[in-house]
Amino acid sequence: MPYIEVQDLQKHFIVRKKREKGRLLREKTRIQALQGVSFTVEKGELVGYIGPNGAGKSTTVKILSGILTPDGGEARVGGMVPWKERRQHVRRIGVVFGQRSQLWWDVPLLDSYSLLKDIYRVPDEAYRRRLADLTDALDLGDLLRTPLRLLSLGQRMRAELCGSLLHGPELLFLDEPTIGLDAVSKLALRDFLRRENEQNGTTILLTTHDMEDIAALCPRVMVLGHGKKLYDGALPELLSRYDTRRVITVRYGEGEELPPLPPGCAVEREGENMKITYEQKDLPTAELIARLQSAGPIRELTVQPQNVDHLIAAMYREMNL
Amino acid sequence: MKAYLSAFRMRLRMETQYRGAVVGGVICQVFFGLVLVALYRALYAGKPQSMPIETVTTYVWLQQAFFRMMLASDSELLDKIRTGAIAYDLCRPVQMYGYYYARIMAQKLVGSLMRAAPMLLFAALLPRGWGISVPDSMPAFALAVISLLGGLLCVCSLENITMGFTMRTLDSRGMQALLNLLMMTFSGNILPLTLFPDSWQRVITRLPYAQILDAPIRLYTGERAVAQAPGVFITQFVWTAALIALGLLLWRQNQKRLIVQGG
Repeated sequence: MPYIEVQDLQKHFIVRKKREKGRLLREKTRIQALQGVSFTVEKGELVGYIGPNGAGKSTTVKILSGILTPDGGEARVGGMVPWKERRQHVRRIGVVFGQRSQLWWDVPLLDSYSLLKDIYRVPDEAYRRRLADLTDALDLGDLLRTPLRLLSLGQRMRAELCGSLLHGPELLFLDEPTIGLDAVSKLALRDFLRRENEQNGTTILLTTHDMEDIAALCPRVMVLGHGKKLYDGALPELLSRYDTRRVITVRYGEGEELPPLPPGCAVEREGENMKITYEQKDLPTAELIARLQSAGPIRELTVQPQNVDHLIAAMYREMNL
Repeated sequence: MKAYLSAFRMRLRMETQYRGAVVGGVICQVFFGLVLVALYRALYAGKPQSMPIETVTTYVWLQQAFFRMMLASDSELLDKIRTGAIAYDLCRPVQMYGYYYARIMAQKLVGSLMRAAPMLLFAALLPRGWGISVPDSMPAFALAVISLLGGLLCVCSLENITMGFTMRTLDSRGMQALLNLLMMTFSGNILPLTLFPDSWQRVITRLPYAQILDAPIRLYTGERAVAQAPGVFITQFVWTAALIALGLLLWRQNQKRLIVQGG
């Protein structure tokens, strides 16, 4: 039996709009945040969960972490229904909401952690060991006695992650954990998550807008849009569907000009460099390079794939999101 | 149980960090105390009431000293609800109502004790008829302290109901303005309940608001005799139990129809 089993999950919200002129009551709109989402996740998997803003990602996470009750559908995590057996269920999970804080603003980290220890009833010995591991891995040693308000955003996110893992959860939900982090912090965080997944077998469900997070971490990705699941599989396969274009930048010696190119190639000049964007299926890269070479000696040539963000944007466009 | 104690301790620690707020609060409450005492003295100069002025000033100072027990909600908690940070608390393996009850109690208890100590000292140094008098008797004092704890439990259950409503309306200000009015009037903070007409008092003293400070103060001043203490405790207990039941019901309802703000 899969570890997480979600069947036809549904959830709606009522959103009240500003009252229009001449109307007595405010208009209420029903927003269908999830309209029948189903998936399964095996124990120890690391799954990326992506989709544009408002797709229903966070709603799914909140239902699976026992915070929200769905309107319909079923979900089981390790045999328990999150919103029905909330207290037993949440004991084994950890959650990080990237834009919120679970630690106390004015007190040192260590005090927030010892409150979490009591909440999750972590035995002293296990707590000591776990805290030592986490502070080491997340490089928090010097910060434990510092109040949260004095930490930088990157330090704070590492501190939050430590707080969510103190009780050694078997399942970890991460809701945009790398939001606002600099490159070094992001890389460190990714390394840490990969290790947590490999060494402790923690199942991780990661929602993010950062495609590099997904590319670096998640062998499997689910795409959500308008409350429906649109894709479930490997990231490279998903991208290959949209990854049809390439850009070649070429620079010739003095006096050389571009050869005539087939229609469908867009040419942009940037000083001596010429940028050619083309569809791979119409014009194989090797053929284009051969043509370019026939025009004269090439000084420099680079072939670039499209940026992942562009691909995702193209995918969202095609899926009408 | 440990989790709730720990939450209590945590909020307590936080409360002790705001020493500036304590100084400000004490100065503010001392000012109000002096103004009210002067007011009642002026009133008594014109038309003495049945109750001695010493009892009235004692009543005023005790009300002002423990002011923080009544007003002052946990603004951080309200913010959590408004911004959706409450999501974290909702995914903890604790009973939400109890968890917040512990937090609220710590804030009210420590917040008011820290203010009450210097204020009562100040009021004790004032001349007779201006400041606070000694308790009616030692047993009366002991019973007043016990009843103050009963009042604390009662006010925390009231506050938890406010929190429960805030989860529905999101903005606590309207609800709180209304509740504060009720609280200030019927707790005896604006006008000692002992000065209300007797027919009113029969009803008002039975409301939950009167259980918070009015009941303990009356035991302290001896206006309620020691023999009447069991009746006071029973009223406090019944209200606390009823309000906790109501609060639990409200929180359970909320959890079913919850929306977390801010995505």
